Amino acid sequence: MPEKSLNKDELLEKIDSLSSQDHEKILLTFKHSLTSEYAAFLNTCAHCGLCADSCHYYLTDKDPKSSPAYKLKQISKVFNSSFDLVGKRFPALVGAEKLSNKLIKEWVDTLFGRCSLCGRCTINCTMGINIPYLIRAARGALASVGIVPLGLQSTVNTAVNKGNNMGILKEDWLETVEWLEEELQQDVQNPEAKLPLDKLGARILYTINPREAMFFPLSITAAGKVFYAAKESWTFSSENYDVTNYGLYNGDDEAAGLLSSRLIDTMHALDCRELILAECGHGYNSNRWEAPEWLNRNYGNEVKSILQLIAGYIRDDRIKLDPSKNSEVVTLHDPCNLVRLGGLVEEQRFILRHCVDNFVEMTPNREKNYCCGGGGGQLSKTRFSERRIQAGRLKAEQIKATGAKIVATPCHNCIDQLMELNKHYKLDIEIKTVTEIVADALIISA
Amino acid sequence: MTAFLYYGVIFSFFFCLLALLGLTLRTFSFGNKKVRAAFRGDWKKGVVYAFGAGMMPWEKESVRQHLVTYFSGFIYHFGIFAGIFYLFLSLWAFSVPILIFKLIQILLLSGLVCGLGLLIKRSVYSSMRHISCPDDFVANILVDGFVFLALLDILFVGIQAYFWGMAIILFLYIPVGKIRHCLFFFYSRTLFGVFFGRRGVYPKERKTSRV
Ligand code: SF4
Ligand code: SF4
Repeated sequence: MPEKSLNKDELLEKIDSLSSQDHEKILLTFKHSLTSEYAAFLNTCAHCGLCADSCHYYLTDKDPKSSPAYKLKQISKVFNSSFDLVGKRFPALVGAEKLSNKLIKEWVDTLFGRCSLCGRCTINCTMGINIPYLIRAARGALASVGIVPLGLQSTVNTAVNKGNNMGILKEDWLETVEWLEEELQQDVQNPEAKLPLDKLGARILYTINPREAMFFPLSITAAGKVFYAAKESWTFSSENYDVTNYGLYNGDDEAAGLLSSRLIDTMHALDCRELILAECGHGYNSNRWEAPEWLNRNYGNEVKSILQLIAGYIRDDRIKLDPSKNSEVVTLHDPCNLVRLGGLVEEQRFILRHCVDNFVEMTPNREKNYCCGGGGGQLSKTRFSERRIQAGRLKAEQIKATGAKIVATPCHNCIDQLMELNKHYKLDIEIKTVTEIVADALIISA
Repeated sequence: MTAFLYYGVIFSFFFCLLALLGLTLRTFSFGNKKVRAAFRGDWKKGVVYAFGAGMMPWEKESVRQHLVTYFSGFIYHFGIFAGIFYLFLSLWAFSVPILIFKLIQILLLSGLVCGLGLLIKRSVYSSMRHISCPDDFVANILVDGFVFLALLDILFVGIQAYFWGMAIILFLYIPVGKIRHCLFFFYSRTLFGVFFGRRGVYPKERKTSRV
């Protein structure tokens, strides 16, 4: 049942029942997450409005509430009324407003409901304000009193309590790996081919998006096939294999840190040298860039995307590819968290140019690409799903303009959203991960 | 009266600097988080990008789409800087070549026109009104008034007292509202450059990397 009909009132009722102590807690959590950087950003906006047309929400609904500056203003209202001298003394002048249940509803609508934390506004902001990070901080403040759209919070809870965001039981995971191993053996015609589990001392620990195990098992065998071809020393963990981290989206640093720590700690426990992240935009941003901050630990270089690994295989001639095996026109969707916020820009292009006959870029592309609308936890917030599909219109138009039959994207969240866009906007496309395309182009020597 | 205004301008200018310093200290009192993630790119190059190419129309879509607003903003700010420059000239009766005076006049006039244009834009468009607060209008009107009086003071006699009076009000107002971005702009863009520089997003390098 959609969350909207079931829970809309539930969430609003919950907000209505918030007490002044809850408001205090929200403010305290918000203050705690504020650094000098965030405080500077909140003092910088000149209300010039130039960011509006960079946001896919605003571009598709033209609602002033969807403008990044409007969303930022909702946060500034509270910052000014609580932490700024002028805002405290002359609230009307600078638009300061004390936190209230009414304002919290506005925060939920704008900060959870009209933002996928894609960062496109930041690169277009006159001042360079990191708007999505401020929005995340405000989301985290709401999360401290349980004000988070239900689907998003339950995804975080499931991951924290069950070890993966789909709640897959260990025996089901082991069984899945077992039958996928048989598939791989048939595919490469070698009964020795393996999908190893908990192999001590393997060079790399590989993670997946649990949706792959449930709905896209071909993605897992594709990775296994590439590792097999490259003669890689690798392993899965039987316990901690979930690359996703929805703590990035509800703003709960503690939960986010816990989820990421499981992966890096498992890598050490299995004595692996690298943590290789499956194709997942926010999983990359979380585990590569944010987790060291959440955990207050220095690391990063040992955490890589599978795209970096495959690009290395190609450069080092460890795999042989035949692009003619992928003869359809292929385009690429850049996941915001991987590209604009993660810095992995060229690897996927380098790989695709070696794997397909006809690769075309979308316009705009790379760090300037439009968000598909599936980020920011939007896929889990059913109460905002209509907006999500509407906000994806730009992406649908971008895809149509390329004339491509296949859209490659290194992110399973993006895949889910693109599949919905495919249906809604009648795009008639096939959507694949980059690794799947590589696996299709592989030449496996006997 | 002139002496009163003269010292008033100097006092309000130093008040402005002190208040901005106070704001800076207040901002830093929120503390810093140590950056722990290993860098993939060069933050210094990111900062250079942030203040250079990263603000140019060929790099920035929002600039391309709003060229008129962008250049109006630019000219407006040049007009303001010209006004402040002229204020100090008038305070200490420095003489400058006539050409410089002409240039100041042009900058003031064009800055004024652009400032008024931006004020009209803010008033007319609903999307702009939604992100505005009274301070946006007050700040613009004060600055426009300052630039206007600077221009009048160059062209006519007997305006100086009004011009200096306006300067006092403006300096007192700068730390109060949005004009404080004159300070935070530099910090925010530096942070932008550091963030995207260390992540290897900017400046763009069309090559793959092993880290
Ligand atoms: S981060 Fe993306 S979705 Fe959010 S306001 Fe900015 S452009 Fe819009
Ligand atoms: S572009 Fe930046 S400074 Fe201008 S309104 Fe948007 S957030 Fe504020």
